[in-house]
Amino acid sequence: MKRTVDVSIPVGPVHPCWKEPTRVKCETRGEFVLSAEVELGYMKKGIERIMQGRPWQEVMFLAERVCGICSVIHNMVFIEALEKMSSIEVPERAALLRVIVNELDRMQSHILANFSYCYTIEHETLGMYLLDSREKVLDELERITGARITCAYMVPGGVRFDLRSEDALHLRASMDMLEKEITRYTGMFEHGPLIALRSRGIGILTRDAAREACAVGPTARASGLPESDRRLHHPTYRKLGFTPISREEGDNFARIMMRFQEMLQSISLIRKCLDILPVGPIRGGGIPGAGEIAYSGEAPRGELSYFIRTDAAGRVIDIAIQTPSIMNIEACCHYMLTGVASMADVPSTFVSSDPCIACTER
Amino acid sequence: MAISLLYYAQEFLRGEWVKKFLAAKTAPLQIPTYFRNYPELTGKTCTHQLYCMMACPAPGAIDVVMTPDGWMPRIHVGHCIRCGLCVEACPNGVLTSGRILESMFYDNTKLSFSFRIDVDTDKCMGCGNCAVACPVNKLIDAQMSHGGRASTDELLLKVSEGKCQVLHVEKCTGCKTCEHHCPNEAIRVARLLEAVHAPEEEL
Amino acid sequence: MTLLQSLKNFVRSKSIHVAYVDVGSCNGCDVEVLACLAPRYDIEQYGIFVHNNPREADVLLVIGAYTPGWEGKLEGLWEKIPDPKVAVAIGNCPISGCLFNRPHTLVDPPVSKHIPIAAQVPGCPPRPTEILSAILSVAPLVYRDYEVRK
Repeated sequence: MKRTVDVSIPVGPVHPCWKEPTRVKCETRGEFVLSAEVELGYMKKGIERIMQGRPWQEVMFLAERVCGICSVIHNMVFIEALEKMSSIEVPERAALLRVIVNELDRMQSHILANFSYCYTIEHETLGMYLLDSREKVLDELERITGARITCAYMVPGGVRFDLRSEDALHLRASMDMLEKEITRYTGMFEHGPLIALRSRGIGILTRDAAREACAVGPTARASGLPESDRRLHHPTYRKLGFTPISREEGDNFARIMMRFQEMLQSISLIRKCLDILPVGPIRGGGIPGAGEIAYSGEAPRGELSYFIRTDAAGRVIDIAIQTPSIMNIEACCHYMLTGVASMADVPSTFVSSDPCIACTER
Repeated sequence: MAISLLYYAQEFLRGEWVKKFLAAKTAPLQIPTYFRNYPELTGKTCTHQLYCMMACPAPGAIDVVMTPDGWMPRIHVGHCIRCGLCVEACPNGVLTSGRILESMFYDNTKLSFSFRIDVDTDKCMGCGNCAVACPVNKLIDAQMSHGGRASTDELLLKVSEGKCQVLHVEKCTGCKTCEHHCPNEAIRVARLLEAVHAPEEEL
Repeated sequence: MTLLQSLKNFVRSKSIHVAYVDVGSCNGCDVEVLACLAPRYDIEQYGIFVHNNPREADVLLVIGAYTPGWEGKLEGLWEKIPDPKVAVAIGNCPISGCLFNRPHTLVDPPVSKHIPIAAQVPGCPPRPTEILSAILSVAPLVYRDYEVRK
């Protein structure tokens, strides 16, 4: 088929709005984007190859460094895969502490994604408000785990540090404050006329397209696919009575609103955990043995799967990681970006699907 | 008009306002006490068990060196990732970082090491390099001959019937000397780290 | 140096533009650099503007352990930055390769093999406080004794 293409515009790899290097090549006719193609390969480090032949205490840290933004979930999925493989029991308190830390991490990741979007559509005020809230979340994370980004909190059979009672009080107070702030920012985003102009009806991913592109995470849930949430299969989340939320619009606006709503949901999950947190041990011990398993969990960006095979001494022989961003990037390039009316909407649409290039290329 | 100009002049010529406008600064930047920073020495005696080096996930981040005051761990900034595993693994509390030592005391947690030696009998050719090189063997039987044959059964490693045999794995210190001296990659030492609550009697 | 030039240098050293480039890190350092923008740390109160455009940058923050994808491209990017310029390595990755500098890896650290590095901020990731103080200590050096080359 003959197509009239004016010019093919590359966006990236070093772009003011992108945190990580990637390149999107857009074929345009005038301002109208006909099709887009993503070019990856600036971040490939070969982590899975480095992981081979190493025991869990080294692979755990490498797994965290697959992605620095959502490091806690990588740690959690890897450790829980080992636990399930070698049937190691986790104490009740440790399981709930894991959920607390994971939800805090999800909140900071979502806030960062929404900050990036607000920054991209040049609404810096809201972006800075969000970054300020993110510092509060990171403070709580640091208070519990001792580090802001790469926490290294979970170990086979439990967690590394207990939640002290004064920290629990502080966490509750922060959650109240954050709920107030995030509700306010959600209102600002929802009712801002200029934000709506840049967001509503742009980069639409319909429900069928999302299913076709295997979109995951908030991107899929904003297109009306709530069942894609892996937290539904997690025993601790099930006990907390977790139900995923979803939206129907499937445009940029819905994806950002989806993350705002999930932050509020995370706050209520943390509160529920704190309410039922029992007193007890935080470490059950246990050494991973030989086995093979596929295990997945819900990262802030969607479904994250680890396929692990270990030898009798618990060393990883073979490992494969499937991260959520690759599906979302494909969905973004082939469904959202085609038909975007203006080049100016390309970065914002790309950022709204929250791509994490470090995850994707490892 | 004139009144409002006067009002603005009065408002914006206040010393406090001008000072704030020209030299507004955020709160002083401080590192909170609960942040796990680079491990520091507590002054306790290091017994050279090297668990810190074995637990460390970063290449080249920590080594234990001989100083005039005895063995001392040394942290290499630029390699250390501030994970705090060395602090938890140390049996003597030589290192401290953030609140980790305090937490370990309150929560009664520790990281315990155990070792496991696997000999691949298909690859082992019974040369005895591992048994001769093993520092534990050297302490038990300093006279151990070339080839790894010995009379006593108290040894950690021994060659009998042309194959390397592990006799007392509980004596292993996890140094991996045997692994480095094996010409055939037949012997492998696994350092098994377990996160446990410390047994009550140790308190 | 003429008086005019030193006056220019003084004024320009009060307004530093920063660009950051990620040459294969885990993203942790990127988000810590972004956190410097947050109102709590507020990098802009010191006259430092983070705008990710190498063409108008004075300070380049290099993050990451130099993956093969950046072979030649980082050097090209460094040449595009107008004089005077300095590069600051953020995190363990550009200094030593962090956890990735192991057998079978694809990365090629340190970054100082490829472009000149003026300062290093160790840590995995470093706190925004540490990044901020590093940029602040490097900023006055950029324009010290600078003269336009003929």
